[in-house]
Amino acid sequence: MLDNQPFREGAVTVGGVSVRYRVAGPENDRTPLVLVHGTAGSIDGHYGYIFPMMAYRQRVIALDWSEPEGDALELADLVAQVKAVITAEVPEGPVTLMGYSLGACVAALTAYEMGDKVANLILAAGWLRTDTHQKMRNDVWRQLRDQDSASITQYMTFCAFSPAFMNMRTLTDMKAAAGMLKITPFVDKQMDLNTRIDIAAECEGIAAKTLVIGCTYDMMVPKHHSKQLFGAIEDARYAEIPSGHAVVHERAAELFHYVDRFTRQPDEFPAGTIIPAQKP
Amino acid sequence: MTTETDILIVGTGFAGLGMAIQLKRAGRENFIAIERAGDVGGTWRDNHYPGIACDVPSHLYSYSYLPNPDWSRVFSPGGEIQAYIRKCAEDEGILPHIHFHTDMLKSTWDEASKRWVVETSKGTYVAKILITGTGHLADGHMPRIEGLDSFVGDVFHSANWDHSVSLEGKRIGVVGSGASAIQIVPEMQKVASEMVVFQRSAPYMIPRWDREFTEGERRMCRRDPSVVEDLRSEIFWSGEFNFAQRRNIPRFLNEAKALAVGHREAHIKDPDLLAKLTPDYEIGCKRLLISNTYYPAIAAENATLEASALKRVEGNMAYGASGTGYELDVLVFATGFEAVRPPFAARIFGSEGISLDAHWDRGMQAYDSIAVNGYPNLFIINGPNTGLGHNSVVYIIEAQVDYIMGALQQIEEQSIEVIEVKRTAEDAYMEKLDTMAQGTVWLAGGCKSWYVDDRSGRLTLVWPDFAHSFRDENGTFHPEGYDMQPAPVAAE
Ligand SMILES: Cc1cc2nc3c(=O)[nH]c(=O)nc-3n(C[C@H](O)[C@H](O)[C@H](O)COP(=O)(O)OP(=O)(O)OC[C@H]3O[C@@H](n4cnc5c(N)ncnc54)[C@H](O)[C@@H]3O)c2cc1C
Repeated sequence: MLDNQPFREGAVTVGGVSVRYRVAGPENDRTPLVLVHGTAGSIDGHYGYIFPMMAYRQRVIALDWSEPEGDALELADLVAQVKAVITAEVPEGPVTLMGYSLGACVAALTAYEMGDKVANLILAAGWLRTDTHQKMRNDVWRQLRDQDSASITQYMTFCAFSPAFMNMRTLTDMKAAAGMLKITPFVDKQMDLNTRIDIAAECEGIAAKTLVIGCTYDMMVPKHHSKQLFGAIEDARYAEIPSGHAVVHERAAELFHYVDRFTRQPDEFPAGTIIPAQKP
Repeated sequence: MTTETDILIVGTGFAGLGMAIQLKRAGRENFIAIERAGDVGGTWRDNHYPGIACDVPSHLYSYSYLPNPDWSRVFSPGGEIQAYIRKCAEDEGILPHIHFHTDMLKSTWDEASKRWVVETSKGTYVAKILITGTGHLADGHMPRIEGLDSFVGDVFHSANWDHSVSLEGKRIGVVGSGASAIQIVPEMQKVASEMVVFQRSAPYMIPRWDREFTEGERRMCRRDPSVVEDLRSEIFWSGEFNFAQRRNIPRFLNEAKALAVGHREAHIKDPDLLAKLTPDYEIGCKRLLISNTYYPAIAAENATLEASALKRVEGNMAYGASGTGYELDVLVFATGFEAVRPPFAARIFGSEGISLDAHWDRGMQAYDSIAVNGYPNLFIINGPNTGLGHNSVVYIIEAQVDYIMGALQQIEEQSIEVIEVKRTAEDAYMEKLDTMAQGTVWLAGGCKSWYVDDRSGRLTLVWPDFAHSFRDENGTFHPEGYDMQPAPVAAE
């Protein structure tokens, strides 16, 4: 008999489009956790591990982005979706908001705009301002996309995982993983948005107790970005996971460990702490 | 003869020795470890059957503070693990603290002197603090088999292998299909003229990513210890990932199942044999086994799988519960250990004179998986709710040793004479564990396993969560759970 965790689905309408979300886990003394996925992601794609495992600990809410109307996607569109879900489910606040990758940029801006409704913030593999290194990678991606290249998903997979993780698998395994990626017009818009991020000023004004998680072998959003967030956000502490950008797959359990500890006791480490890695 | 000591440790496996090493490193010299056998190592001293190896990669299955760059394989053979443990004991100067061939027979809490009085096969010890590291897989379990005495061939248990018995060309029966059996069977198949495996229930099995390390890799590990540290971290966290299977989450359980089914079907072509090797319970409910050699061995010409338990023996015939009989020369029992009711518990008597075994009549339990109300000044390592289905036991042992070191520090700083866990704290802890265990594969997986105590249906052996959360929750001493009495101040 499988442990089919009970969950509830909900939807809110934002700018004329319906945004679907999922709620699970008991209400207890922990602040509800809201999960925001990243580029080309979804609840199951990026939080397939964290969502159910955290729901054994506490109330968890996660949303799937919906494609807004219009040609270009702006950070504000995604922020509006996150705000709407929080307002629908935890109208009085406070919440712990977690974002991964582009979702971390969305979460940071949401925290800035919502003030004390976002008591705690977790930013995994996020960034503050798109830099040349990212633009270069994004540009290659754009060219492959314009050429309708079959190699594009393999390129994305190559960029996403650390060498150590890949080397535990075969080339066939990795190609199979690449084959699962689907690129939609909405992903095109997200990739374009990725080239234009700048939330440096807003990060200075974030009041939430923040955990920044950088990934040692991240080639997509190298860890210096997380260090920049750690510096910019006043009440921030920093942890590092030895993984590639795809930390939600590569080191899901270690990511869970940091999320679990932080949501249980956000002030366990004072602002400015570089949290030492657990040495098993 | 009575020997007095501050701290008495029982057992010198990974647990007892790990405790001794930390005491020594902290400059506490006043401790003794007693060991019923003639060497350290515990599990790895006693289990030397053909094919023995660990099933957690060696770089992780070792002390974090004594990394070994020289492991020969990903999963090293048992002899190498034993040699490693022995070397740790020597290098850390522990051997002079160990009294070998000293079996703890009866430990009694003496309320008047506030001491543990420990009767052993070599005299009496009196200690302020008693720490058990007697293992939960230390005493081999022999099922009672009708007519076994009449067997004319050789009989032994996997944890007590008789190497004087020649096996070449013999008809060998292996009883069991658990973790030890699946290591033994491929070795027996190589030497036997015929081999019969008595299987009570089919195990799940996944491939074993084993290989030899090259000399260059070993040198790399010697030259740069950070390589070993990175490896440990990688192995540990990928092991942790698999807790989601034990947690019984459909997506992760199904992934593991697909791996096991694929492995089985790749090796077993005969549909009858495939049916017999297909488990009838959920994956992970019993120990998930790893082997590349078991299926090929069981499918070999000279092998027979008897898909029922060994029922009775008559002369040189061994019969399965199905009624089928086999003529055999040797019977190997790979039937596991006395885990649910560990024998040490029948030998420890607390403040009310009741044995721990009797006290645990509804199954083992301990506050923070380490201390029991009514049994003051006692710490149990690797006891109730410490087992893992998915990661290294040494990690748990190290967390418990850290906990005890914290307790000892407090005891010393505040001149505590008696420390006893509060009943309410113990009950609250157990209630928390019961809640955590609900819905996990051990309770909901539809199997009968040694993880669950029959008498209460409670999960008493396993820690029902991630290994890392064991350290988070039980890796530091919690004084609030205890009543602590300071020693009376002596009049000047
Ligand atoms: C075949 C086998 C393979 C295993 N493989 C793995 C693995 O790969 N990974 C893993 O994590 N775990 C594995 N385990 C589990 C293993 O038992 C633990 O990892 C670990 O070795 C336990 O250490 P311990 O010190 O607690 O107990 P033990 O190693 O059992 O040591 C207990 C010691 O206490 C002594 N003792 C017991 N009673 C008394 C007494 N009354 N008086 C005096 N001395 C006493 C015993 O002689 C023994 O030396 C395996 C177990 C077995 C049996």
